[in-house]
Amino acid sequence: MKRWLAVYAVAFYAFLHLPLLTLAAFSFNSSRFTVWDHFSLTWYRAMFHDPQILAGTWNSVVIAIWATTIATVAGTLCAYGLWKRESRFITGGLYLSLITPEIVTGISLLALFQWIFRWLHWHLGLYTVVLAHVAFSVPYVVIVVSARLRTIGPTLEEAAMDLGANEWQAFLRVTLPALLPGIIAAALLALTVSFDDFVITSMVAGVDSETLPMVIYAMARRGASPVINAISALITVGFGVLIILSERVREA
Amino acid sequence: MNRRRFFLGLSGLAGCAHDTRPRLNVYNWSAYIAPETIPGFEAEFGVQVRYATYESNEEMLAKVLTGNSGWDIVFPTHNRLQPMREYELLARLNHAWLPGLKNLDPRFQAPVWDPELAWGVPYMWNGTGIVYNRSIQPPLSRWADLWNAAFKGRLTMLDDPEDVLGACLKKLGYSFSATLPQELRAAERAAIAQKPLVLAYLNAEVRDQLVSGDVLVAQLWSTTAQQAIDAAPHLTFTYPAEGFPFYCDCAVILRESRRVRLAHQFLDYLLRPDVSARIVEATKSATANGAARALLPEAVRTNPVLYPPAETYDRGEWPRTLPPAAQRLRDRIWTEIKSA
Amino acid sequence: MRLRSWFLFPTWVWMTVLFLAPLAIVLAYSLLTRGTYGGVGQPWTLENYSRLLDPLYLAILLRSFVMAAAATALCLLLGFPAALFIARAERHRNLYLQLVMLPFWTSFLVRTYAWMFLLRDTGLINTMLLKIGIIHGPLPLLYNDGAVLLGLVYGYLPFTVLPIYATLERMDPALAEAAADLGARPWTTVLRVIAPLSKPGIIAGAVLVFIPCLGAYLTPDLLGGGRTVLVGNLVQNQFTTARDWPFGSVVSIALMALVTVLLWAFLRTRKEPLV
Repeated sequence: MKRWLAVYAVAFYAFLHLPLLTLAAFSFNSSRFTVWDHFSLTWYRAMFHDPQILAGTWNSVVIAIWATTIATVAGTLCAYGLWKRESRFITGGLYLSLITPEIVTGISLLALFQWIFRWLHWHLGLYTVVLAHVAFSVPYVVIVVSARLRTIGPTLEEAAMDLGANEWQAFLRVTLPALLPGIIAAALLALTVSFDDFVITSMVAGVDSETLPMVIYAMARRGASPVINAISALITVGFGVLIILSERVREA
Repeated sequence: MNRRRFFLGLSGLAGCAHDTRPRLNVYNWSAYIAPETIPGFEAEFGVQVRYATYESNEEMLAKVLTGNSGWDIVFPTHNRLQPMREYELLARLNHAWLPGLKNLDPRFQAPVWDPELAWGVPYMWNGTGIVYNRSIQPPLSRWADLWNAAFKGRLTMLDDPEDVLGACLKKLGYSFSATLPQELRAAERAAIAQKPLVLAYLNAEVRDQLVSGDVLVAQLWSTTAQQAIDAAPHLTFTYPAEGFPFYCDCAVILRESRRVRLAHQFLDYLLRPDVSARIVEATKSATANGAARALLPEAVRTNPVLYPPAETYDRGEWPRTLPPAAQRLRDRIWTEIKSA
Repeated sequence: MRLRSWFLFPTWVWMTVLFLAPLAIVLAYSLLTRGTYGGVGQPWTLENYSRLLDPLYLAILLRSFVMAAAATALCLLLGFPAALFIARAERHRNLYLQLVMLPFWTSFLVRTYAWMFLLRDTGLINTMLLKIGIIHGPLPLLYNDGAVLLGLVYGYLPFTVLPIYATLERMDPALAEAAADLGARPWTTVLRVIAPLSKPGIIAGAVLVFIPCLGAYLTPDLLGGGRTVLVGNLVQNQFTTARDWPFGSVVSIALMALVTVLLWAFLRTRKEPLV
């Protein structure tokens, strides 16, 4: 049976990875059709010359960094707070937020912003997208950090307090460093979810906040283009490297 | 945003480039401008233009409806002008600031949707018809031809309720802008009868599949059809005999804009014959600018797909803004067709 | 106030402003009437909710339910053996897990687009099959329910592998050994002993897949060719093309209610909390 499982595993991983690998492979195809012509970097060149793609990437990076920072801080504090003191209200809310379909989150946030803008005369923009991303990232951070907290257990902190540290010092000097791998994992998750998001972003984006997924979607709607293959290949490689690096940091 | 600014901004993580020039925000359809149009305007007037694109009127309207979107200029299709006016979203055009209006084709000097040209400047126009593979004999000429079972799985229709219902209505001999429930229901039955033959409801993305031969027959807008024909000479286009719609995208200034003068200058810039002609060259669309059209090469100027001759043109109609009840019924019918 | 209460403060703010307030607004919208060309206005009415009971929309909800259930079942069927393989592997377990999660880290949009690229009539699969000569005309692989199902399964498969693996990893190996000692063949052991014991992981995986699939919007949009309307498409359509925000809000609330009921049922069966 072990052999069957191994065969199955090979097929399984092939199913998971071949589509992306094929996409990446054909980003080097000089022709736009699925018949291999010859190796070429034209699509990568086209990608770097397209101002919309560059602007979208820049916006995605800025939004992801802001949203990740805010969500990680808020989520870590929340996970720690929940660990010390239960709050059914917050726990229930976190669950509910996790299961809310993306489209519902998107339209509800759009409704909120438009209602606020009636009084304040502001516009949709980068900041609304950041707020929206924080909105759906916090639960993910809380889950990851909570899991890590449960693994650590309360003993370290209790020991510190027995030795004379107050609550704040115990948290800062003992728990937080022990929590760091979990925080990094949570931040990575928040970063990925934010960079990748399309549905919610497209609803709350403003004048100058077009993100990379929005650019990709618009291109896909206009017809297949190998430039999308090139972008996809770069995103895959980029995040793959990021994951591997974070694993190294975690193990260190 | 160009590459230089991209790397400039990288050094400062603030996320916004510091620029003291006046700014204009323009929201247009995708692939509807030439690469040098915006930089040319920026250079000549010493301003910065923020340019973004959308794929549908509704996508644009959803952002603009609050009256607080941040955009100065958008390009709605002509039959959206009336609702936008009713919602007080538009700024009235000052003709004194638009000397270029005289460049418009006579047909668009007093269009039926805006006789005084008080609200929008006609920009580009197109019609909906049938693009098909020349291998199909006899040549297609009617909407009714799209109900032929021989095309099963090789036919696409537009993912647009107005166009699909309109084609069914014309096939049955009704007006494109019909409002009577029994006419709309009859059109719905025709659409549902056709659905098994339809491969998918696709807009511009069907172009590649026409070129590669996946799709033999498609309901498509003339501009996109011309792009497909340019890429694959085995395709041809026809305006159906029963009648078909024309659409004109108009440049409007939003009432929320605080740079009305600059916006007018941009619209006047777009009205310049050379600028408009360059856009046409880049996008292969049909311009409402008569002076620009005169500058185009003969083959483009008389292209029957983009600029249909008089007898074809007379068979077309400009869709009207529909009363709310009829619009609601059409929306519901569209959901029913898609779920069938 | 104790330190621990301050810690929860940012989350309180987040929840009230960015989660509850928007939902309250959506609830309010569901009770209003649609504006002529979009937006909402008076009067307050329950009419939108009665519209939901129309067979057309109930059929859409049912179809979404079936599609999500099918995707969940397939994900579980495909994910269980993979989780078993990883749990039984002697070395490189972490690597295998990372390889499972790697596609998840890339954009969902990109993964869906990859299938468009493969399944089209002139896509890679058809081109290869035609070249080999197995088929003589392209297969209609794209723009149907099958393609949507494939896209959903591909997108959420990792979500079943991880919880099932977590349960399998904690399982006492002595149980499997005992079954073998009693004469059970390997497959019987798996079916009669291991699978039932991994129920918590299976249920967790099912919930993690079913709920997003129910509200899926991108996959049916891109891979379905606009031929089917699922709940996610309906909501999106009502807020854009149809400009009927109140009805769109009603459908959203119905979707949320359904999902909340499922979540509540799931939490009842689970002993260990998620947060």
